[in-house]
Amino acid sequence: MSEVIVKTRYHSRKLRTRIVHIILHIVLVLCSFVFVFPFLWMLFTALKTPAELLQGIRVFLPQDPQWSNFIEAITKIPFFMYLKNSLIIVVLVVFGTVMSATTAAYAFAKLRWKGRDRWFIVMLATMMLPIQVILIPTYVLYAKIGWLGTRLPLIVPAFFGGGAAFYIFLLRQFFKGIPKELTESAIIDGANHFQIFLKIMLPLSKPAIMTVALFTFMGTWNDYFGPLIFLSNPDHWTLALGLRAFQTQYGGQYNLMMAASILIMLPTLILFFFAQKTFIEGIKFTGIKG
Amino acid sequence: MSKTSSVKKLKKQENLVGYLFASPWLLGLIVLGLFPILLSFYFSFTNYNMISAPTFVGFENYRILLTNDNLFWKSMYNTVYHVVIAVPLGIFVGISLALLLNNKIRGISVYRTMFYLPNVVSIVAMTLLWMWLFQPNFGLINQLLKPLYNLFHMEPIGWYLDQNLSKLTLILMGLWTAGGSMVIYLAQMQDIPTTLYESAEIDGAGWWQKTFHITLPLMTPSIFFNFIMGLIGSFQVFTIAYIMTNGGPSRSTYYYAYYLFDKMMIDKAMGMASAMAWILLVIVLVVTILALRLNKYVFYLGEEA
Amino acid sequence: MKKILLSMLLVLAAFSAFGCEAKTETEAITIDFWHMSPVGSESYAATKAIINSFNDSQDRYFIKGTGFSFWDYWDKIAVAISSRTAPDIGLSTIDDVVTRAEAGVLYNITDLIAADPGSIDLGELYQSQLDFATYDGDLYALPFTATCRVLYYNLDMFETVGLTEDDVPHTWSELYTVAKQLDVVNDQGEIQQLGFDPTYGNATYHGWLWEAGLDFFDEDLNPTLNTQEYVDILNWIIDFNGEYSRSQLTAFGDANTMLGINPFAGERVAMMVETDGLYQTIKNSGADFNYGVTYIPIPDDNGIRVNWGSGFSIEMYDNGKGEDDQKQGAWEFYKYLMSYDVQMELSTANGWIMAHKGAMQTVSVGDPILTRLIEEVQYARDKVYVPYAPSWHGNDWQPYYNNALTGEMTAAEALAAARENYLQKKANWEATHQG
Repeated sequence: MSEVIVKTRYHSRKLRTRIVHIILHIVLVLCSFVFVFPFLWMLFTALKTPAELLQGIRVFLPQDPQWSNFIEAITKIPFFMYLKNSLIIVVLVVFGTVMSATTAAYAFAKLRWKGRDRWFIVMLATMMLPIQVILIPTYVLYAKIGWLGTRLPLIVPAFFGGGAAFYIFLLRQFFKGIPKELTESAIIDGANHFQIFLKIMLPLSKPAIMTVALFTFMGTWNDYFGPLIFLSNPDHWTLALGLRAFQTQYGGQYNLMMAASILIMLPTLILFFFAQKTFIEGIKFTGIKG
Repeated sequence: MSKTSSVKKLKKQENLVGYLFASPWLLGLIVLGLFPILLSFYFSFTNYNMISAPTFVGFENYRILLTNDNLFWKSMYNTVYHVVIAVPLGIFVGISLALLLNNKIRGISVYRTMFYLPNVVSIVAMTLLWMWLFQPNFGLINQLLKPLYNLFHMEPIGWYLDQNLSKLTLILMGLWTAGGSMVIYLAQMQDIPTTLYESAEIDGAGWWQKTFHITLPLMTPSIFFNFIMGLIGSFQVFTIAYIMTNGGPSRSTYYYAYYLFDKMMIDKAMGMASAMAWILLVIVLVVTILALRLNKYVFYLGEEA
Repeated sequence: MKKILLSMLLVLAAFSAFGCEAKTETEAITIDFWHMSPVGSESYAATKAIINSFNDSQDRYFIKGTGFSFWDYWDKIAVAISSRTAPDIGLSTIDDVVTRAEAGVLYNITDLIAADPGSIDLGELYQSQLDFATYDGDLYALPFTATCRVLYYNLDMFETVGLTEDDVPHTWSELYTVAKQLDVVNDQGEIQQLGFDPTYGNATYHGWLWEAGLDFFDEDLNPTLNTQEYVDILNWIIDFNGEYSRSQLTAFGDANTMLGINPFAGERVAMMVETDGLYQTIKNSGADFNYGVTYIPIPDDNGIRVNWGSGFSIEMYDNGKGEDDQKQGAWEFYKYLMSYDVQMELSTANGWIMAHKGAMQTVSVGDPILTRLIEEVQYARDKVYVPYAPSWHGNDWQPYYNNALTGEMTAAEALAAARENYLQKKANWEATHQG
């Protein structure tokens, strides 16, 4: 008798989960359409002819998709040189940011040192000044120390937590979420703070670190303003900056610009796709019952 | 005996180690950050057109802004309006998206990537899209809502062309990039021990209970984060109005940061713009310090209780 | 631990790799030239060719040209000038040459011409542009390009309603009559085609004012906008297409004008006031309808034939470092850029209207539209530079203008409010310029 009951309960629960899944899929598909729309727009614009561009929104779908626009976008600018430049800067910045942000976050999250809370407020305050008013003073500084015309202003600050206040705060929140028991048992086993940092904090914060790396990648990859202001040699230009060549005074070659934009967008998308896979793995350790 | 002494030693060193770990950031701040910050503070007391050398004017810039500038208060109002509505709304939408996408169904990776797309797409493309959707006469949204308008005999909503609705419309547009905060919530959700869910299920908890008693409380660290960051960020809202509405209609979307930008780039009044920046900093700092008090409601797995 | 050391070594290696810039040893003196034709833009090839041929023709100086996109150029040059790291020679805007000259960041062109007689024939340049580039009696820049605004008209649309080229309007009342014949509205009340709108394209309120002999400011740079004539002209603009609701007009305008897509080129508007740049756009897009250009219609009584035109200036920057060799080299290149041949080359290749009258005469032979455009440049005038309101025609005026157009404010109210704003800005500016 109980067997029958268990079986029917099992079946009805399975059916319920099925229905929930189907509803979820429907909701997701509808919402996705809304979110994907801008990208579709970019794609259609990238495939239009110059005459179609003039028609504006009256012609939504390109009549004769110009896939050659993608090739033209790559060949009109020194795409691969810009790509190399972007990669150099991005790889170094991501590396530097992760290094300096994790160390600072550990200090704010797990260590007690004099003035910590006051420095924390100062750190937050650095995000409250709009970048425009800092621009010229920063430029003057780099002019005085002779870094103008090199890639240094774009790379060195990353290794010293420049622009990483956002990430330091984020990582601090995550580090605080790592159970005290783990760190305490490590201390009792004679570990020093460096070992705790490297062997416990970092491995357990993979999703957070992945997020920091992803956001840093995206921000640096798409940044055209920094390279514009600080680089003086066009051979050092990045993709984001080189892309602006398609915008002129009277409008510009929007189809080529969209084509190039899409190509530039792809690495970030691919990176995101793989990064968020770490968000499915679930947690590495089971909770320790206190 | 050796165990307690190593613990003691560690505690003594903690002050030094703390500074050591914070040193890259601290060094960067003092060596590379201090000079520009102090210089901009100095500029706020000068008249500086960015071509000739700055001339000292004392508190004139501040006096003018606070007492003889009608756009100062207007732009401040617009920004505060934006902050008060956009921040809570943004948190609500971000959490909802994260809850929606934290399911292990097939293709969830693809869905997540699609939801994140707007954050990667260029702002230029987004603007065209929004115009296509929200244009009061031929935009898709008003076309879809036409039957409703006819039913209630009302004028089509003016969206970004209506000075009473423009700020709300821009906030709505800003939600397209909620994927950013969603990612942070998803990351946080991975740190929630599955054993907690398992024991809850054994006790017969359904989805609602699990969410409200386990998931959300354990997400408070990132909710708190997004709240503070949301505050700091939305006080600087600017780009969307710059591209879409030019601050209109009737200056209804002329945000504080937009006015600051114009002061600097168009009026070439760098001194005044710097003064505006420092006024903003003081306001945001006070608001943030107050908001930080909410930290006591945040539940960190790594602390006590 | 090993992994970390390894990665640190990698980082160090990367640093040193790009940190040491290879220094190419050349005998020639490098001259920096900034322009707006970046690699990949349509005008890049011609600009590069001109620089190359100058470099090939002599080996004392080497011109290093860097092009930035139009939108980025201004940020870049502003930061460079303010930190005294400006290029040896670059482009800028003519109307505010005075501020730069006053600050001492430009080399005196009059002196350079005097020391090098016969180098540049100022007679080939437009006097109105030269006036703008003058400070304290001396020239501190020269005009490099010139622009103008004209009325474009679509002959195909004229033909459809039985009009010919003879019917092209030249006064405001003619404009109105002709425009109304060209409006096309469908059954749902949606505008399909508009004859003309005084706010479309590059028409401006101050442009219309100038034709009536008025302006925003008087000779002492005090704001005007305070007589009935101003109100009347503004009302003329508002009521021109008054039979349609403003939302209809905005919808029609929005549907066609999205980021560089032009209503006239898209054949939605029969007549439009636009800059000479539209000619290039239409040519490049391969659109093939019949059209022409003429001067912007003027008021029926006492109308003045004038249009808003400006252009880029070409300047030599003085960074205060006493770099006389670079100055000399920049001067040689400057003369080269202002020469008949180069001006002709740039115009032919890029479709720009250059400042050199003689060169433009030659280029326009056989091109009726370009001939007409160049003819209008003579009547072009730049907007006055007001130090306390550099964007008096844009940022400081648009919100009030839009309010008047939508009916939010009456014309008189809008003008009064705008005037108030200018006065406040003036007072504030004077308060911070005492010291």
